[in-house]
Amino acid sequence: MITLRDRTVQATALAAEIQRLGGRLMMLFAAGDDGARELCAVVRADDTLVRLRARLDGAAYPAVTPRVPAAHWFEREIHDLFGIVPEGHPRLEPLVRHAAGQGEVTVPEEDDVRLRHRGAERLAGPGVFVIPYGPVRSGVFEAAQFLVQTGGEDIAYCAQRLFFKRRGAERRICEVPLELAVLVAERVSGTSSVAHALAFSHAVESLAETEAPPRAQAIRRILAELERLYNHLEVTVRECEDASLAVAQAQFAVLKERLHRLAGATVGNRYLRGAVVPGGTRIDLDAGSVDRIAATLRDWERDWRGALGILLRTDSFLDRLVSAGPLSEHDAQDFGCVGPVARGSGIDLDTRRDLPYDGYSAFEVAGHSDGDAMARMEVRFQEVSSSLEVIREAVASLSPGAIRGELKSFTRDGALGASESARGETLYWLEADGAQKLRFCKLRAASFMNFGAFNRVFDSQVLTDFSFVEHSLGLSPAGCDA
Amino acid sequence: MIRWFFRGVAGRRLTTRYPRVSEPAPPGFRARALLDPTATNPREAWRVAQVCLPGALSLDLQDRLVLDAGRCIGCGLCADANGDRAVTMDPGYELATTHRARLVVGADAHEADTAAAALNGPFRRSLHIRHIDTGSDGAVEQEIAALLNPYYDMHRLGLFFTASPRHADVLLVTGPVTRPMEEPLRRTYDAMPEPRVVVAAGTDACSGSIWTAPEVLGGVDRVLSVDVYIPGDPPSPIALLHGLLLAAGRVRQVSAPRVNGAPTAAVARGAGAE
Repeated sequence: MITLRDRTVQATALAAEIQRLGGRLMMLFAAGDDGARELCAVVRADDTLVRLRARLDGAAYPAVTPRVPAAHWFEREIHDLFGIVPEGHPRLEPLVRHAAGQGEVTVPEEDDVRLRHRGAERLAGPGVFVIPYGPVRSGVFEAAQFLVQTGGEDIAYCAQRLFFKRRGAERRICEVPLELAVLVAERVSGTSSVAHALAFSHAVESLAETEAPPRAQAIRRILAELERLYNHLEVTVRECEDASLAVAQAQFAVLKERLHRLAGATVGNRYLRGAVVPGGTRIDLDAGSVDRIAATLRDWERDWRGALGILLRTDSFLDRLVSAGPLSEHDAQDFGCVGPVARGSGIDLDTRRDLPYDGYSAFEVAGHSDGDAMARMEVRFQEVSSSLEVIREAVASLSPGAIRGELKSFTRDGALGASESARGETLYWLEADGAQKLRFCKLRAASFMNFGAFNRVFDSQVLTDFSFVEHSLGLSPAGCDA
Repeated sequence: MIRWFFRGVAGRRLTTRYPRVSEPAPPGFRARALLDPTATNPREAWRVAQVCLPGALSLDLQDRLVLDAGRCIGCGLCADANGDRAVTMDPGYELATTHRARLVVGADAHEADTAAAALNGPFRRSLHIRHIDTGSDGAVEQEIAALLNPYYDMHRLGLFFTASPRHADVLLVTGPVTRPMEEPLRRTYDAMPEPRVVVAAGTDACSGSIWTAPEVLGGVDRVLSVDVYIPGDPPSPIALLHGLLLAAGRVRQVSAPRVNGAPTAAVARGAGAE
């Protein structure tokens, strides 16, 4: 259960206060209704979580972004959705409600945060053009748009445009009966269903000040790590495809498919939906399922190690990934990156260790300091091993008992839930009205943070590396857009 | 590179022989709910319909359950909730159909007269497919990409993805249509040469599913006329293959999901071009 230290500050002092705490900005959003709107910031400083609340008296406040760059997308979102103006924001153009699809595509004239940071000049002149890539992209991809400014080969600037897929998940979660809301959370980012269901369930359990029973916690760990495995495999498949390694692509795709078949046979859904619920899990693992998981993963691990061993000796793969898409530790920190993207840039953070849940123990966090596409892949390869280890440990620790505890009526009026998806820290902030009714939900998927830093990895990159770099970030537009 | 060669030829054949040989789902797989209209009990019916998030289960005028499989997300809460087993979970993969109405099952619902018919469309063999995401949750894209893995290997059936809508026969749409994606969807469709077929892949694309916000328009058929519906949340690769072969006029659709008289796959002419 996550405990937040509440602090109230003046809206004018919010930026300075976040900077003074010196930690990582996890969330920034507007809550309350029109009469009493407040800004809410969740900051992790040292080992405590602080929730800063700032009452808004007008429709404007001094922007946080100039001092804390990680706030740049949060503040644009607040501006789009509530019309509140963060004064002094370096680039206050529409983020969530843009007029995309209307044909006209421009790269903003206004300097963005990065350019201002470096004092860099925008590239201009004859021969410089913009490739509007998306939202309908060649191949089978989710809808997102990248505006790539180039003179032909070098990428001068790349702007990302998301939120084509916004489906109103936060509002939907509050509308539906509480026992059905987890189904919405599962469908925010369909490939991270378990992580979203867990983060949501942790928040609900925290509202009711309860915890899942030990057996349910072990099942949750098994499912969460299974999900991590197939997501990391997806990235590996994509990178092999980009490198035109047809056999490697097929081999890793087979490994991925075997995990989905295991998921389908275990839970009844190839993406592990319908398993995690607030209070525990809906499905139990019988002896047959447990044996199947153990046996399947034993063979799976042998084949994975075989294929990975060859991949790490394949020069045409390594050549494309090493030094592609560098993200410095400074940038990753500044823009609040999470998950393998942050860990590949030398930032030591993992929700499973930092905000422990569901019985994760003695967790060794993967890490790399190179900050390039290969470093992010190395982190994923390390995590495949640790996920298999967690599953083995959880299978061994499955004790008989209940899988679902009674959810008592809510005793708190607001709570934060967190989990570590394959893409990184996933957060749900929930507010409740008395009994068992949600009043407010703010979710922040890992991809929201990592997409915010997207254009930072294209410094001195060439167009032909675009897909390598993009896939190494392992992003989910669906999660970002919610 | 030589190591990959040896590893590639060392493995055994994994590829399914579907559609020539049927491919069963694992027991307990929750593809969608299955309703036995004769077994519904009015007292139970209301309670069961209450737990359906996307509204796939509703009551008719006589308080009997009606199931719209085009809205079902396969969560299984209805099957857990009902005592008289009127609703069970169906593990079947072959769910695609050419008519939205055929996905609706109830005591009074009529089976459209297209039952067991192939789509009398313009295509017979090879298809080029253009995919467009109009707001999916991201899982169905991965299931579509899985069609290229050695288990399903859709190229053996003459099915190919194409980068440009100008070369495409089929528009494969995933996700409920969000407002920002309506225009790109129309423009992609307009860029395709005729004849062309629109396939809605996944429960989101079939009906809009659980999404009701004003920024979501609903199923793909709110914007374009849909030729094949593939329900599923997400539809599994075999379900997608079935739907695409249906679009090609190469398999028949399975008769409506009824408890009595188990549905069976029927393969029409020219199915296996392995």
